[in-house]
Amino acid sequence: MLDILSLLDITFFLLAALGALVGIIFGAIPGMTATMAVAVCLPLTYALGLHHGLALLLGLYVGGISGGMVPAVLLNIPGTPSSITTTFDGYPMAQRGEGERALRVCVVASVVGGLVSAAILFLFAPLLAEFSIKFSYVEKFLIILLALTVIASMSRNMLVGIFSGVLGIWLSLIGTYSISDGGNGKTRLMFDFLEPYLFEGFSLLPVLIGIFGIATILLEAEQGVKSGLSGKEIKIGKGGGFSFGIFRGRLTNLVRSSFIGTFVGMLPGVGGSAASVLAYTQEKNLSRDSSEMGKGAPQGLIASESANNALTGGALIPLLSLGIPGDSTTAVLIGAFTLQGIQVGPLFIPENADTWYVMMTALVFANGVMFFLMFYAIKHIAKVVLVPKYILYPIIVMMCVVGAYAINYGIMFDVWTLLIFGVLGYLIQKVGLEVAPLIIGFILGGQAEVYFVKSLESFGGYSIFFTKSPIAVVLWALIAASVTFSVVMGLKSHAKRRLETSQ
Amino acid sequence: MESGLTSLFSVSIDFETSHLFFPRIIHWLMGGLFALILVLRVLPFFAAVRRGERTLPILGESMDKYRFFGSLALIAAYFYLMAVVGNLFPYTGYGFLSVSIVFVFLMSLMYMHTRTRRKVVTAAINAVVAPSLAWFILAKLFQITLP
Amino acid sequence: MSMPNVPKTLGVSVLMAGMAFGSAAAMAADGPLRGNVRVVIGSTSTGGDTYQNSSIVVDALAEKLDLNMKVDAVGASSAFRFLDRDPRGNTLMIFHDQSYLGYLYGVEGYDNIFEKYTIGPTVAINPGNAYLVPKDSPYENLDQVIAAVGDGEEVRVAIQPGGVSEIGFSALKNAIAIEHPGMEDNLVAVNTGSQADKNQQLFDDQADLINGTVQANEQYTRLPADDQKAMRFVWLTARQGTIEQAPEDGLGQTSREQLLEYVEPNVTVTMGDENFTFDKEFFFLYNKDMDPAIVDQIDEALGEIYAEGEIQEVQKNSFFIPNFKPSDEAAEYLENKMSVYEGVIENIQ
Repeated sequence: MLDILSLLDITFFLLAALGALVGIIFGAIPGMTATMAVAVCLPLTYALGLHHGLALLLGLYVGGISGGMVPAVLLNIPGTPSSITTTFDGYPMAQRGEGERALRVCVVASVVGGLVSAAILFLFAPLLAEFSIKFSYVEKFLIILLALTVIASMSRNMLVGIFSGVLGIWLSLIGTYSISDGGNGKTRLMFDFLEPYLFEGFSLLPVLIGIFGIATILLEAEQGVKSGLSGKEIKIGKGGGFSFGIFRGRLTNLVRSSFIGTFVGMLPGVGGSAASVLAYTQEKNLSRDSSEMGKGAPQGLIASESANNALTGGALIPLLSLGIPGDSTTAVLIGAFTLQGIQVGPLFIPENADTWYVMMTALVFANGVMFFLMFYAIKHIAKVVLVPKYILYPIIVMMCVVGAYAINYGIMFDVWTLLIFGVLGYLIQKVGLEVAPLIIGFILGGQAEVYFVKSLESFGGYSIFFTKSPIAVVLWALIAASVTFSVVMGLKSHAKRRLETSQ
Repeated sequence: MESGLTSLFSVSIDFETSHLFFPRIIHWLMGGLFALILVLRVLPFFAAVRRGERTLPILGESMDKYRFFGSLALIAAYFYLMAVVGNLFPYTGYGFLSVSIVFVFLMSLMYMHTRTRRKVVTAAINAVVAPSLAWFILAKLFQITLP
Repeated sequence: MSMPNVPKTLGVSVLMAGMAFGSAAAMAADGPLRGNVRVVIGSTSTGGDTYQNSSIVVDALAEKLDLNMKVDAVGASSAFRFLDRDPRGNTLMIFHDQSYLGYLYGVEGYDNIFEKYTIGPTVAINPGNAYLVPKDSPYENLDQVIAAVGDGEEVRVAIQPGGVSEIGFSALKNAIAIEHPGMEDNLVAVNTGSQADKNQQLFDDQADLINGTVQANEQYTRLPADDQKAMRFVWLTARQGTIEQAPEDGLGQTSREQLLEYVEPNVTVTMGDENFTFDKEFFFLYNKDMDPAIVDQIDEALGEIYAEGEIQEVQKNSFFIPNFKPSDEAAEYLENKMSVYEGVIENIQ
């Protein structure tokens, strides 16, 4: 243990803190992601050495994932794809003037999620890695299907919501059936002349910030950008109404969502946004009263943010115990190891015990730093909504451009995607389709296809989805429960509405 | 095939055309749902429009045409010119920097309802500082490629 | 109305400043390559071997030429498109054998690079392309796999279709067609994606043999035999001469000597008169209309860098085999290489 302590010097902690800070800034800028933060700082780690480098990168990772909550709550633009579900309840709260309160809930949920997943990683990594390889294409497809069932329960009108979701899936299929997923690399759902632009389809991030950011600005422009301020007067100080009491009775949610986040993060390829969507679905299904979710309920924020931060520990599990990244950020982290000539794989932890403890320290420390930085800076961050719209909006557009252009390392079509989906987002809201189901369909559509088609290719029949394994049966039970729940809820609210109109 | 049930569920996917398998399912789903929506929602809606109870979206609503189409045009010009100017100074980010300054300022002016001297000066300062800061931090410090 | 002048003046002044700045930066370098240079790569991953190797080479080159150079992981189809559009030399590309294998396998988005682009120098080899079986596999070695398929047994191989991962599979199929004519269809490709997916096929017992890499799979080969995840190398596609140049310690705890057991002459895959080998080589690609002086400039700069001998150490540290060939030599060499593989692929169709 003493050798490890000698590795942990002041520089180490400073770098982890710096990483968390820079990560938060990256995450808070719409379009800049944790992955990007880690990627741009990767070359620095060569000079820093392995342990210092890891401190910086893990700080960036934790900070980047957390920072996404800020624009999600205040501007209704998910800063990172995984904070999509944060917008559902965060923005309504911000509109009610509770932006600061919402952010505090998010920060607390985030740090709990991060720490729970770090603990799980530390205690059970090899064991869970063993479990994660029991998930073949079939089980992964069912996980995605389970996450997709949220569409039914979150839409205002179930038929319209499901249609929007399917439309989202359709949009995600445009482009090639990618070879890197084992597809045949052929393009579909487009005209030949579009191939130079749409070969790889629409990228997720530009679609997200287009449909949320640009579309919001267009809707405002249509109204003439009326008020000078972008939000109602936010309640600053004690009036903000945050107390840890909000979490009373929410402990189950917090723990459940953290576990879901860790677990989804752990499945290679599934990770990322599916984690928060799944946690949100489960909270919606399992909580005693979920009628306020989507209208500004703290429980939605808790589910979303604790799950998306729990992703960090979860995604590190397959990385460190199988050598396989759990999400796109950890895929970049592999680079940090190979740069130093260290291979990650099933023997990484036993053979590099020092590095392993160092990483755990950095992870826990970065979560702590993130918490203090955000919790106390929120008061100032939340004032963003006090900036006049004529100043704020042009800057949002500009930052969206930067993010969209940079996400795939400099592709101009991604910037045009912003405009395309900005206009599309405007139109679908105008004709009464629903944005949230569409975007969830878009996020999960690509994976749904690969896992579905590959399952059938491997096993040659639909029956495999039911008979593959006990895990599959459990997942079906969850899916059935989720669907039943949303149908019952749908009928209830329908009856309620009818009652109201008849009165 | 072992039994009737198994063969009923069995499917074989030709790798060469496997890229069309899933989209086909989605098309059927979309088509079915669309037909349902057409019957249950769209037709009643149009009937309501004809009776004058509802108005058509977009067309039937009042809108600030100047700001709406102005925003669209400005954003389109912004994206287009950024690439064009950027191409003159390859991979320096100057295209982004210069066009952003102009764009941010023009959009600010457009969204302002009353143009006081103070507001315009604030907008101008913002238009210079914000893009420069973004450019400096991202393109220079972090070496991110910008147009 | 004095207001509209403000943005105009501002814009113009910034543009002017930018121009002055831009030309100043261009003046700094005295060779034909000017301004900021972007090196696009055919991979979208910044954690992968293409990115790693490219950044080693590009960093050295940037220092030598005193230019701003930046590696961007835009992926194959975008990278080719960027290259198509920029004859000035501000966009260069680094990729590996996938660039022509994709074309040979008829993958959408790939053209004949020898016709469409100028081939630049090769810089390094990744010697790690490997094939593995589960540790408890009935097949002791690759010969037994070939013999089993020849006897009519079905062997499933997990690969990523359409390129580097498939070429070894194609060669194996070709060898079976030569040694056991008519039996080659018993070697079945399981088309899948990333390394994680390929490993998973093995764990799920959906594949008997998988394509992998020394780097990613070495630790799996050291797991105890009763572990479900344990694997064994049966074949490295690299040439014997390539592995011989690897560091003596090999990779992880698998020494060079151990690695040599899986290449010629210990493991052979016949192509008829010769044995099949495949080295994954990284090289530059240029726009066809780019100034030939830039080609020479980069050749020369890299020649000096490799003569200094420092870059080789860095490459070997990351398990790359240094392999500098100037443009002309590289173009001829790679074109030959392609025609050999073309023969293999045609043979099994």
